[in-house]
Amino acid sequence: MSHSTATLNYKPQLILSGHKKSISSVKFSPDGNLLASAAADKLIKIWDAMTGDIVQTLSGHSEGISDIAWSAHNDCIASASDDKTVRIWSLDDTSVRILRGHTNFVFCVNYNPRSNLLVSGGFDETVRVWDVARGKSLKVLPAHSDPVTAVSFSHDGTLIVSCAMDGLIRIWDADSGQCLKTLVDDDNPMCSHVSFSPNSRYVLASTQDSTIRLWNYQTSRCVKTYTGHTNRTYSLVAAFSTAGGQYIVSGSEDAKIYIWDLQSRRIAQILEGHKDVVLAIDTHPTRKLIASASMEKDLTIRLWSEE
Amino acid sequence: MNTSLLNPFNITYPTAVQASLPSQCALARFDRSGRFVAAGRSDGSAAIWDLETRAAVRWLEGHVKGITSVDWSRNSRFVLTSSKDWNVIMWDMASDIDPPQRKTTIRFDASVSSASFHPRNSQIILALLQSGDAYLVDLRKRYRGRVELEDLQDDSDEESGTSPRSAMTVAQFDPTGRHIFVGTSTGSILVFNTRTKTMVARHKIPGAGIMKGFDFAKSGRRLVTNSSDRTLRQFTLPIYPSPNADGEYTEQELEPTHKFSDPINRIAWHAMSFSPDGEWLAGGAADPASHKIYIWDIANDGQLASTLDGGREPLIHVHWHPSKPSIVSTTNHGNILIWHCPSPERWGAFAGGFEEVDENVEYGEREDEFDIEDENVLAERKMKQEEEEVDILTGNDAEEVVEHPRVNGDEEDIAWADDEADEDVRGWKMKIVMEDELDMI
Repeated sequence: MSHSTATLNYKPQLILSGHKKSISSVKFSPDGNLLASAAADKLIKIWDAMTGDIVQTLSGHSEGISDIAWSAHNDCIASASDDKTVRIWSLDDTSVRILRGHTNFVFCVNYNPRSNLLVSGGFDETVRVWDVARGKSLKVLPAHSDPVTAVSFSHDGTLIVSCAMDGLIRIWDADSGQCLKTLVDDDNPMCSHVSFSPNSRYVLASTQDSTIRLWNYQTSRCVKTYTGHTNRTYSLVAAFSTAGGQYIVSGSEDAKIYIWDLQSRRIAQILEGHKDVVLAIDTHPTRKLIASASMEKDLTIRLWSEE
Repeated sequence: MNTSLLNPFNITYPTAVQASLPSQCALARFDRSGRFVAAGRSDGSAAIWDLETRAAVRWLEGHVKGITSVDWSRNSRFVLTSSKDWNVIMWDMASDIDPPQRKTTIRFDASVSSASFHPRNSQIILALLQSGDAYLVDLRKRYRGRVELEDLQDDSDEESGTSPRSAMTVAQFDPTGRHIFVGTSTGSILVFNTRTKTMVARHKIPGAGIMKGFDFAKSGRRLVTNSSDRTLRQFTLPIYPSPNADGEYTEQELEPTHKFSDPINRIAWHAMSFSPDGEWLAGGAADPASHKIYIWDIANDGQLASTLDGGREPLIHVHWHPSKPSIVSTTNHGNILIWHCPSPERWGAFAGGFEEVDENVEYGEREDEFDIEDENVLAERKMKQEEEEVDILTGNDAEEVVEHPRVNGDEEDIAWADDEADEDVRGWKMKIVMEDELDMI
């Protein structure tokens, strides 16, 4: 099978402005109709992913927000904030549930596939698992020795992967909370972000040596390396793009967005337009659409399309 | 996914209580995904427990007297409860509200001892009444009706008039759904064809007494019975012919391949359950002062492998998890015990690149291990290795496939059961209902 690195042709489609401070996270809803964004201005905004119209603004956090996640049913958003809480926002009746327990900034949050559990991580160096229905903490994993920068479930909900500024990537058994594996690179660079591949057989990890690695966690081997972007300071997000071809997408501190071909590791396209560090990106679940967001000097969310 | 990282040698039978759920429940059953437990109470209510959060997520309020059985449809969308209040209720877990909506209520004219779904179609329901009659209820438009299963007792046998009519005391589908197995108060097993509702076989089990319960191994080829003589018997079932027009049936004595009993204490059994691979059998002892589950190793000539001690609260019911070494048992104090096989913490997993060994190993150094190589050569080799293609999309999720055991010559029965398919499709999602007492914005 040959994977010719067909050059991509993503073009800017929409520019959304509204946030007043650095945007930390953008996420498409699982059905692909909505886009949610969160920022240091303590607000979550929900946009129509097709038209770019603002649908809803959620306020309540008393400090900036670092991460958001959609429930699988498209009806709830969980947010992680510097006010040490995780909040679950119901979009149907605008009720909110506050999960208290973290003793420092909460930095990352994700639902499990059934959306009955939440997992969060933060500057208190723990990973916490929450019961969504009751709003109670189920597990506190003393996971890392530095702030936890990303945490998420595998597609079947049986594993949790976490990474931290201590440079370690850890894989946990979701049921027992036991650590099953630790992945570490020789140079031990700080970890910005980690997520499972769609089939959960690999993890994609961004590190602050300006490198993104795809790990086979069974064999503890790095199977792909993606470079070219700049990541030295911030926790940048990398994502898989599987709508028409397989690519890796990441923001960069040079204000650009990089798209690599998954197999060949060659840069397929670089998107230019933002005026500051591109912290957050997300890929649409079914269409060739990328959302990106940038920091103070820019404050825009951009949608890029290849259709 | 986690199984590949866990120790594969652990997968045997559970050994310890992982959680105790206070529920006031008398009986509890896993769904086929193993994520939920449905539990019935003697006051008529039932609850659905989410095992990931270990919390009740749905309350089924509809019966006014004790629940006698609970059953799950194959993709867990529907739950069937039977009760002493003469009703069988089918609940729809896909409804967005708690308590969930009822799909149907089926009313009988006596207390219902058990009700179960056909394994291929949740619109075909088997119900057993306290009065000793079994009914097959078909809710499909084309086949709508209620048929009583008739024991074709030879009249000639009853000339003396002394033999009382034998009552049906157990009724269950086999895993294929092709046959219904009925146990009687006179120690017989009657086999009915589900489609034609006609009896195809009768097995007399000498010495068994009153039949109290059945459980099938997943393949459907092995059956274990519980009866009033305090013995569990395992049988290998013959292949049953398709029913013929004359209504003939085979009369055959079955010889148990194994008998399980406690010869010292002569304990009776409340319930029993096969492990998913059929290699172990768990028996719940009817001991009035303790909570004991006996585990027999069927592959190893049916030896007693272990006796699990769950404390002082007497046991009522046991059910084995559909895929894991886990058991759910209930106590007469109203607690649900979840048993598991604890895996030892592996501290080596916390250190990257380390491997935990049980004893000292002489390290064999590779010939070139400490050679100083040119960095460029190293980088090039790494680049070469990374040329290998990776598959990030397809998985091997065996657990998602619902498999139906098949036997030869059952095409007609399968076609009949699959006609007018139910709404229990894979991939439906249970809405997460958040409890009240939400913080206001």
